This record gives sequence, C-alpha cells and structure tokens, in this order.
Amino acid sequence: MANLALDMITTSAILFIVASGLMIILGVMKLINFAHGAFLTVGGYAAYLTTEVGLSPWLAPLLAAAAGFVAGIVVERVIVRPLYDRPLDAILATWGLGIIIGQLITLGFGREVQFAASPMTGTLALGDIEYSAYRLALTAVALAIGAALTALLYLTRFGLNARAVIMNETLARGLGIDSARVRSLTFGLGAGLACGAGALITPLLSVDPNMGLPWLVNSFMLVLVSGVSIPSLAIASLILGSAQVAVSTYVSPIIGGLTIVVLAAVLLRLFPKGLGRGT
Amino acid sequence: MTTLRPLSIAALVAALSVAPAAAQDTIKIGIPVGLSGANSVVAPSVVQSSEYAAKEINEAGGILGKQIELVVADDNSGAQGAQRAFESLVYEEKVDVLISMETSAARNAGLPIVNRGQTPYIYTSFYEGRSCSPWMYINAWVPEQQVAPIVDHFMKEYTAKTFFLIGSDYAFGRGMLEFTRSYVEGQGGEVMGEEYLPMDGSDWTAIISQLKASGADALITSTAGGAPNVTLTKQLRAAGVDMPYGNLAVDEGTAKSMGGDATGIYIAASYVTGIESAENKAFLEGMAAMFGDDLITPNDLSVPQYEAIYAYKAAVEMAGSTEPQAVIDVLDEVSVTGPRGTITMNAQRHAPLTMYLGQVQADGTVNVIQSFENVDPGEQCPQFSN
Amino acid sequence: MARDGAAPAGLSAVTRRVRRTVLIGAAVAGIVIATAPFQLDIYTKNVLIRAFFLAALAMTVDVLWGYTGILTFGQSAFFGIGAYACALVAMHYGFGPFWFAGAFVVAILAAVAVAWLIGWLAFYHGASPLYGSIVTLALPIVFVQLIFAGGRFTGSSSGISSFPTYYWSFETWFWIAGGYLIAVTVLGYLLVKSDFGRLLVAIRENEERCAYLGLPVSRIKILLMMAAGAIGAGAGFGYAAFTNVVAPELGGFLLGTELLIFTALGGRGTLIGPVLGTIGIDVTASYLSGSLPFLWKLITGVAFVVVIVLLPQGLIPIIGQGLRRPWPVRRRESVDEVTLRSFEPTTPHGETPSAPLRTEGLQRHYGSLKVLDGIAIESRGSELLSIVGPNGAGKTTLMRCVSDGGERSGGQVFVNGTEIGRGAPQSVVALGIGRSFQNTNLFETLTVAECLMLARWRIDGASLFSRRSEIALPRPAVGILEATGLDKALTTETRNLSHGQKRGLELAMVLATEPSVLLLDEPTAGLTKAERTAIGDVLTALARGHGLSILLIEHDLDFVRDISDRIVVLHQGALLMEGTVDEVIASELVKAVYSGQSVETAS
Repeated sequence: MANLALDMITTSAILFIVASGLMIILGVMKLINFAHGAFLTVGGYAAYLTTEVGLSPWLAPLLAAAAGFVAGIVVERVIVRPLYDRPLDAILATWGLGIIIGQLITLGFGREVQFAASPMTGTLALGDIEYSAYRLALTAVALAIGAALTALLYLTRFGLNARAVIMNETLARGLGIDSARVRSLTFGLGAGLACGAGALITPLLSVDPNMGLPWLVNSFMLVLVSGVSIPSLAIASLILGSAQVAVSTYVSPIIGGLTIVVLAAVLLRLFPKGLGRGT
Repeated sequence: MTTLRPLSIAALVAALSVAPAAAQDTIKIGIPVGLSGANSVVAPSVVQSSEYAAKEINEAGGILGKQIELVVADDNSGAQGAQRAFESLVYEEKVDVLISMETSAARNAGLPIVNRGQTPYIYTSFYEGRSCSPWMYINAWVPEQQVAPIVDHFMKEYTAKTFFLIGSDYAFGRGMLEFTRSYVEGQGGEVMGEEYLPMDGSDWTAIISQLKASGADALITSTAGGAPNVTLTKQLRAAGVDMPYGNLAVDEGTAKSMGGDATGIYIAASYVTGIESAENKAFLEGMAAMFGDDLITPNDLSVPQYEAIYAYKAAVEMAGSTEPQAVIDVLDEVSVTGPRGTITMNAQRHAPLTMYLGQVQADGTVNVIQSFENVDPGEQCPQFSN
Repeated sequence: MARDGAAPAGLSAVTRRVRRTVLIGAAVAGIVIATAPFQLDIYTKNVLIRAFFLAALAMTVDVLWGYTGILTFGQSAFFGIGAYACALVAMHYGFGPFWFAGAFVVAILAAVAVAWLIGWLAFYHGASPLYGSIVTLALPIVFVQLIFAGGRFTGSSSGISSFPTYYWSFETWFWIAGGYLIAVTVLGYLLVKSDFGRLLVAIRENEERCAYLGLPVSRIKILLMMAAGAIGAGAGFGYAAFTNVVAPELGGFLLGTELLIFTALGGRGTLIGPVLGTIGIDVTASYLSGSLPFLWKLITGVAFVVVIVLLPQGLIPIIGQGLRRPWPVRRRESVDEVTLRSFEPTTPHGETPSAPLRTEGLQRHYGSLKVLDGIAIESRGSELLSIVGPNGAGKTTLMRCVSDGGERSGGQVFVNGTEIGRGAPQSVVALGIGRSFQNTNLFETLTVAECLMLARWRIDGASLFSRRSEIALPRPAVGILEATGLDKALTTETRNLSHGQKRGLELAMVLATEPSVLLLDEPTAGLTKAERTAIGDVLTALARGHGLSILLIEHDLDFVRDISDRIVVLHQGALLMEGTVDEVIASELVKAVYSGQSVETAS
C-alpha cells in the first residue's frame, strides 16, 4: 500500500515536470506546442552529450534547459510568431517542427538507443520498503520547479507581465507591456523547461529519437484538464497520475497507459473549463 | 481530377533513381529491410552480412555461373512500407528470391505479395512462430527453441519455482511469453504474473511494484527491442530488483551498450560472437576485412541472413535453375555450414538450431554458459510436413 | 416547410455550372482511370490503387479541416476500422459474397457509431476547437492500443495477412479504387459547392454566430463526422481487401498526421488539391523513400512547416494559378445573379398570452464575482425596451444569459412562455430569440447573399447538393437591405462592405430568422448620424408595425431617449431601476450612477 502511494506520488511528480513547459506556453501564448515531445528528446540528447564529454550528470538538466531556452527563442521567432492569429495552424507547424527535429537527431545520432549516465542509482529505505532513489529525487525536483515557477510568476517583473498577458492580452498591450517580448521569453522558458524535463527523465528512460513522443499526448491532456495555473497542474498531475498507477496496478498496464487520455477527454466533456476554472 | 501529372512525376523520379537495367545473367536477391523505423538499428548489420555473402559468392564464381545482384529496399519496419518494398522488388525489380530480416508486421504485409508474385522468400529473423506460406522458409529461432534453455537453467541452478513475466504488448512479446508460461507450467513451475506495456510505453512503475510484491523467484522479459528493453532494465535496477533475470529480446550489442545495468542478465541465442568454430572465425575476420571501421558487430539477426543467402545458393545449384517452385522444393534438403554450425531447414519450413545460453558480464561481454545441440522448433507448419 | 421552395426547374446557374464541371471532371477522370491500367506497369498500378484509397480518406480530411475548420488527427482510425472489419470478418467468421458485403456494412456502421461518439464528445456547444482536435488525436491512439490488446484475434502488432479476399486482377482493383475515389470526390465536391457547403465555411469562420442564427452547429458537425467516417471506413475496407493485409499503423496516429500533411501540401479547402496531393506524394514516396528513408521524412517535414507558415493555401493551387495565368481569371462561382424576394412575415407575436421574454432571479457568477444578481425583467410585444448602465453593469452578460441556456448560474428565463433550460443558442433561437452582436466580424469570405441564406437555414433548410438562386426574406429584412444599399451588393464578399453596411447586414440576418424577441447589442456603434436615424426608424417600425419585442443595449442615451418605450437600468449586476423614458431621465439615482458616484442599490 505504501509502495502504491509512492508510485502514485512519484509518477505524478514526473508528469508535472514533463507538462510544466507545455502549460507555460499554453497559458501565455494560447497555443499548444506540438514540438514539446521533440524538445523532451532534445533534452535527452543534451544529457547524453553532457555525460559523453565527461561532465557531471547533475549538470545535464541545467545545460539542457539552457540549450532549450535558446532554441525556443529561435523557434518562436521563425515559426510561431507568424501564426499567432492562426492557433490551429500553430499546432501543425510545431508538429512539423517536431518531425524535423526528430529526423535531424536521427541523421546526427542514428536511431539507436544512447545511454546517459545517471546522477544517482539504487534505492532508498523508507521504513520497511526500498524505493528508487532517483524517483524520490524527482519528486523533490518537481516541488522545486513548482516553487520556482510560482516565484517567477509572482515575484518578478517578467512574471507580472506574463500574468497580465495571460489574463487579458489586449489590455496588457494597452498598458504598455511588450507582449511580443513576453511571448518570446515564454516560448524560450517553455522549451527550456521541456528540454530540462527531457534530461531529468533520461536516467529512467533510454535516449532515442522518439523518446519524447509517448509523453506528448499525456502532457496535453494534463494541461487541458488543469487549465493555466501551477497548483491546478499539480492537482491534475496527482489525480491523473494516481489514476494511471491505480488502473495499471489493479486492472492492466495497457489500459493504464490509456487512462490519462480517456479520463481527461471525459473530464473535459464534463468540466469544459478545466479543473482550475470550473465550478 | 487527372492522374496524369503525378504519374509523369513518378515516371521521371523512377527513371532518375533506378540504376541502369541489370544484365540478364545475374541472379537478383531482394532484401526488404527496416532501414528506417524500429528495425533501423539492426538493419545496417543485416545489409553488411548480405553484402559480404554476395561478395564471397561472386568472387567464387557466383551461382550456376551467374553473379549475384543485391537489391535493398527500405520497408520502414512496418506494413505500409513493406507493401511498397515487396511490390517494388517483386513486380518492378523482378527479383529471383527475397531474403530478409524484418518485423512481423512487415513480413505479414509482404506475404500476400510473395504469394501472388510466386517468389521464394527466406525469412531470417527470430519471431513468435507459426507463420506459414508455401513460398516462405525461416532459418531463425522460434519460442520453442529459445525459452527452454533459460527456464531450465533457472529451475536447476536457482531452484526457481515461481516466475514473473513482463513484455511489450505486441505479437512477439506476447507470443514468447505465452509459450514461456506454458513451458514453465509444464515443468512444474508457477507463473506469478504476466504483464504487458504498450510498445511505446516507457513507465514500468506499476509493473515493477507488482513484480516486487509477487515474491517471484525469477524474471523473464520479452519486450520490443531497443528503447522498451532499456527503460525496463534501467527501472528494474533503479528499483533494486536483483533476482535471476532472463531477457528474451536483448542481443549482445545492446547488452554491451547498456553498461552496468545489464550485468547478470541471461540471454539465449542461436548466434553469439564467441562461438569457437573455424567458420565463425573466418566469417568474423572476413567481415572485419571488408568493412573495417564501419563494421557493425555481427549478431543473431545478421548471421542468419548471411547463411540464408548460402542456403539459396545451395538450393539453386541442387535444382539446377532459379525456377521458383524447383527452388522451394529443395530448400528443405540443402545444408549450410556457417558461423552458427550446420543448419538444414525442415519440411515444416523452420530450422533445428544449436542454442547458446549466455550471461552478460560486468564488462558487457556475453559469457556462454552452456550450448544445446539441434533444438527442434516443434510443430510450426504441419500443413507442409506430409 | 419551404425546404425546396425553388421550383424544380429552377436550378441556379451556380448549381448548373458546378454540375457541368463535375460531369466533365468525372468523365475525364473516369476515362483516365478506365484506360490507365493498360498502359501502366504492375508496380505503378499497385502503388496507385493504394494511393487512391488514401486519397479518398484525405478528401474527408479536407472537408472536415479545410472547409469546416475541424482539425482532425483521427481520420486514420476510421480507415483502420474499415480495414479491420474486412480482415476480421473474413478471417474469423466467413468469406463469400454475402460475408464480404456484410463486412462492408459492419465497417460502415462501426465507423458511423464511433464517429457519433467522437462527435458527441468533441462538438458540444462551447467546446473549444482545441479540445475537438485533442479528442480526434486520442481516437487513433486508443484504436491502436485496442488492436494490440486483441491478441490473436486482431493479430496484435503483426496485423493480419493472407485472410480470404478476392484476388481480382489488378485492373479490376484499379477500377474499383479509382471508381470509389471519383465517386466520393464528386459527392464531396457537390457538397462543398452547395448551400450546405457554404454553411460549413460559415461554421469554420464563426461558429458562435452560426449558433445564434439558429443553426444546429453541433449536430451538423457530428453528422459530417459520421459521413466522413463512413467514407474513410469504405476506403480502409477496400485497401485491406486489395492488399490482403491489415496492420495497426493503418489506423494509427502517424497516418492521421500524414493525412494532414497531404492535405496541407495539396491545398486545404480545395478538395481536388488534397486528392492530387495525396496521390502525388504517396507515389513519389514509393519511388523515393526506399532510397532516402530519413531524408524523405525530413524533406516532407520541412515542406509541411514552410507551407503552413508561408503558404497556407498549399502548393497545388499555386501550381494551378501558374498554369492558368495565360487565361483570364475565372469568376468565383458565387458571383452570380441572386434574386431577392420579400414576403410579409406571419402574424406578429404581439398578442400572445405570455410575455415574449421574462427572467426570474437571473444570476451569473464567475467564482465569487457576481456579474448578474437576481435580475427579473419582462418584455412586452410591440415594445422597445432599452437596457442601460455604465461599463461593467452586466448588460452584455444579460444578453448572453437569455440567449444561451448554458450561460447563467441560476434563475429562469422564459421565451414566449417556454423555459429555455440549458439549451444551446440554436434551441433558444428556435423559441423566437434573435440576437445581434456588438462586433461586426461577419463571415469574411461569404457574400451578402450567402450570409442571408445562412440566416434562413433554420426555416428554409439548405440543399445538400445544390445552390439556390433566390432568397425569400421577411419584408423588414429587405427594408434594411434596401436602406443600406445591400440589395444591390448581394454578391459582394462581406469583408468588402462598409461598416454601416456590415451593421445593416447583421441586423438583416437577425431579422431573417423571424424572431419575436430581438436582442440588439449596440446596433448603432460607429455609425453616422444619418445611419443612426435610419436604424432608429427601422427599429420603431419593427416594434410598432410588426409587433416585435426589442431589447436594446445602448450607450448613446439620446438615441435611447428617442426610440425607447421603457428603460431598464443595470448597475453592478443588479436592477437599479425600471420605468418609462421620462421617469428614468428624471431619476437622480441614474444621474448619480452615470456621473460615477458610488451608489447603494436599493435592496
């Protein structure tokens, strides 16, 4: 039972880490970044390169996030900016971008699985159960990311501007906020978070050109269900992540894999505004 | 709506991309293989061993005096790509034979085209078994041959009574584990759990927790190659699982690149590079000489491909022509002695094989613990046995 | 009703021309398909047969996405359903003409049922287009997992091959596939060029506005999805029967996105573009991808992004324009003579026993913020009731709450005596509400005549496969068209109208729905003095002469004073006062509100 609870909490934490970058972009820019999966993959390869050149695996997420931030700024300028008034086309363009990134990685690294060194291995004893140390560490990281994002949004100038754009873009622009700059930084931030997340999950996964794809759809679902707020994303991750673990454990892991998609579609039908804003 | 424009483009493209028409006196061998998609990691090694076989045969005078010409086509490791590849090889290139290592989906997609086109086909990948066509032979292992060595070893050496089975949810994964279950139960053991994750799934958390809770003595896994295999192994190790662990889907190369996480895993295969025979030594040296630094380590998928080309050579020479039916009629009579030993495919279109049980060492090499001579594939295609 | 009001002989010129085009196009395509197998080698024939089935599927994607604006990732799932119905029935149940036909019926029925479920999930009123897309994205993912989980029955990841099927000659299959493609493309072409097709474009451009014209948008989208699903399943069935192979990827997410790429590159919203694009890309891929597997995908990825960002109309239309340049540009089909006919509206609703519009305890909350709090108003027939109040008083929210059952948080709304319940706007419109909007973003690419037909859809219906050439409108609507000169500009696209004309069209469209209660949100905003007077005259005439009950939101108090019978003042979500024009004008309370003083509303 305690083990099940730990599975639920750590799975939710991983989902939160993976989905946070997508949520930031959706919130400020009102668009779904379909290249999110590709950014996760880029993060995985950044982690691989980091350990390949002999740097500490602990540095991998930070370097990946920095690389993602720069890439995000460029992508926003070239592909996303022309499509602000065509949100559905932006989905398609970012999906196309995902294909391009995937193929470039394949051409550069080949399709085979790469291995990045893990920052920590083994288990921790919690009472009478042994539990994966790295999964527990990820839970702490998730809390840290949540706190850092909250601080960023509520304690900084950028956060104030971003929140203004989230609430009412026209008004924000009227108040003299440079919304183009906010959008650009936001996309960079979202891409950086995605790449950092890719590096963070790498020790549990393999690095290959498609590693981000399975996370893509679940992340969308989480973000759509949660709406744009950090606490509600945490709650949505906890609900859907726990549901996935519970179904995987008691029914079947295959149905468990579909839990988030199906449950989210139904939840959204019942609470169209998402958990964060409904009721 | 006119179809003229795309057609003319297609014709132009075809004219540009297809090599000059081959001379009449070659034997064309079609090799549909997954250069892209799931099999793309292993496909280059299959192409290399094919090229090596062709070079050897051509330098020795070819088959019935004709040179071999290889035609490689990408099947994208899936059904749609395989249809394109097989149609192109059968109808456009008009190859004499198809010899290929492919996914089961690609093989199944190709079979109707093979049947309609009446082209001999040698399938060279291990698979879940019981795929039958009058035009197809298979020279790689099936579950009946691979599972027993591992299970027997666990029962004897570790006195394992209870097993836990984990796989990817696809035909090979399920086929292997279903057979494993029946074999374990037939030997008086008990299966504590049999769990699957979708092929692209990467979160094994719930399954690993169930495994730990089950108290099983040993673990046997059969995932899709590549990523699922790696993620499962990593997460097992992270969760502190250290029971006897047999992996039905890992090959030497992957095990080596996994580093410490793979240490101690048991594998069973019909080919490992460490086989001590003159044929294997010559094969490895010849491959190294031909490809140098570009050599991809030969493996349990590329070696059967090499041997299958020799099996076709032997069959054509015995039949005296490349006439498809004549070749098919004698393919179960010819023997080939290659890196894996002497192999003869049987009337049920499959091959008794010598299987090797190995364990991955800390340095990534595979230590052969035991070999099992001529393990029979069992009843695979009884309709052809008469 | 007057569903086919036009005389049978009176096919419009547009319809006649569309049909001529279709006839010629289909004949040419038919000849090409009939003769091509004799000139093509067997490999090209194979490639084309498969491409034809995929093209039929891409055509449905274009109708859904290009025309109607439903971005769907899930059409592949219907293809997969059709394919698996063919394989599973032949493999496990039986084979023969009867079984084969039965399997086809099963394929279509299964696809239609799934499409209905998807539509029900994705297209409820107020659903965001993004949510709809995500549901269609989930569909192929779920489909593939179910196939995997089906074990031996479905063949899991290996799929099923060599099930019994008809090994007809390649020529026969070529004709079947080509014939199917021609048939469904003709069907699709007639549909998108019909009145109904214009309706789909209107839904793409402004779905909410359509709902407020009484169009059952959700039902239309669901029906369209079902039709597209059936056509896709038919194509998948043929594909499986010909290739004798089914595999999970036929219903997978990747094929779903490839279809979008085909459609985008071919030119969305052109129907023929995606069909030709699919055939062209698929055939090229058959020759190229074998030798350049990774590069090929990279090239299509780059082309896709470039097209989406820079050339949203796709490549084929550009090639087409390039070829057509030497000839004069053809006129748009819709630029055609449309005649306007007016009729007297049926009896005014003035003397019905119940009030045209009545609210009781109407509330609207956003979290703890009360935007409307316990509003009770009642309108009368033949009356012009103005609703005034400072910004943020809740005026527009009130309009929304009485015209969309899903909006209010509490209370009741009665339209002509019937409680609106939780009905979507179209059902409220059916009760007699007509609502016009503050902003004038009409349907940009539709002509004036098409907008008016749209407004008449609820009453006159729309023909599925033809275009009408006559619009019958109630006299007041015609009056407005004449007053703003729109009767002479019926074939102008609305984006080219002046602001005043857009306002006029907006009002005419609402009147064309023959409402008994008219809700107008700032109908005079941005108009000249003369236009304002004209609108005022029309409104008073509507109320007095035609017995309409008109509710009006206005900021221009002079205008309100001139035309209103009665005034309701809202302040901070509550009813501040209600009375005749003179009473309200004289009220100190109202003066205080408008001068910005903080006012305690009467309890």
